[in-house]
Amino acid sequence: MRKPIQRIMVYIDGSEPSITGARYAICLASSCGAELVVCYVVNTTAVEELLRARIFLQDEQVEYEHDMEANAERYLNYVGDLAARKGVAVIREKGRGSVHREIVEAVKRHGVDLLVVGELSHIRSRRDECYDEVERAMRGAPCSVLIAKDEDRIYELYESSG
Amino acid sequence: MALIDLVVPEVIKTPLESTDKPGVLRELVGILRDAGRIGDYDAVLAAVQEREYKQSTGLEQGIAVPHGKTPAVSSLQLAIGIAPQGIDFNSLDGQPTKLFFLLVGSPDQSGPHVQALADVARLARSKAFCRAVVAAENAQEIVELMQGS
Repeated sequence: MRKPIQRIMVYIDGSEPSITGARYAICLASSCGAELVVCYVVNTTAVEELLRARIFLQDEQVEYEHDMEANAERYLNYVGDLAARKGVAVIREKGRGSVHREIVEAVKRHGVDLLVVGELSHIRSRRDECYDEVERAMRGAPCSVLIAKDEDRIYELYESSG
Repeated sequence: MALIDLVVPEVIKTPLESTDKPGVLRELVGILRDAGRIGDYDAVLAAVQEREYKQSTGLEQGIAVPHGKTPAVSSLQLAIGIAPQGIDFNSLDGQPTKLFFLLVGSPDQSGPHVQALADVARLARSKAFCRAVVAAENAQEIVELMQGS
């Protein structure tokens, strides 16, 4: 039988839940012998929206995009290091644009069969359901999706593995 | 981190006591200090004021979104203030501002910061929602409005 999980992708945005998701994805990839793609999306769509809404000035747009690019590199490197400590090689995927679209496109492009995301918000509003980028990516992804929960347990799992 | 996760009664004040723009900025940052969300009041206020000096964050329809970045906060922070009587905030349409969303983030958390600001921008587009928030009698009512319940 073909292995059910051959390529995992984890989406990170720098938040603690997303890093927890990355730790879990590393443990999974290690135990399944799967390849691991780490995806970060620079949300230029939101920045453009803020410019149009006149919440951002032009120089703020440039500044925040620069910050997000730097954060993307930092967090991709960070998760790459976390994976390397467990002997897992990663494929880096940095997108720009609409977060949910970029995630879904990356899943398709890399032939991912499991998308891992960090825990979603506990409290949901009806408005958020329409706009939450990760939730939209989960709905649109053509593969199975795993939500990593319980930060403490996953931290211990990661520390004790491999 | 969704915007709604940041919306708790402790970071909402209605009505605001201030009657002018500098006072509103101090009062909004003070909400975060009093809620134990920030340690360095002066650094946060300076970050918000620095952005405000460049151009007012007072938009149209009585809404303002003062914001700033500073290493003085470790995670994104939101404060909401309501001034039912309206305050001159040098807004784009020249109208008094009644609803204030203050957002302060750390430079290394710019992604969530941008997303939260975009969420506020979307909320601000609903005139009915904004009217309901301004008319709310207390912080809990605003939390419930934000949750869409």
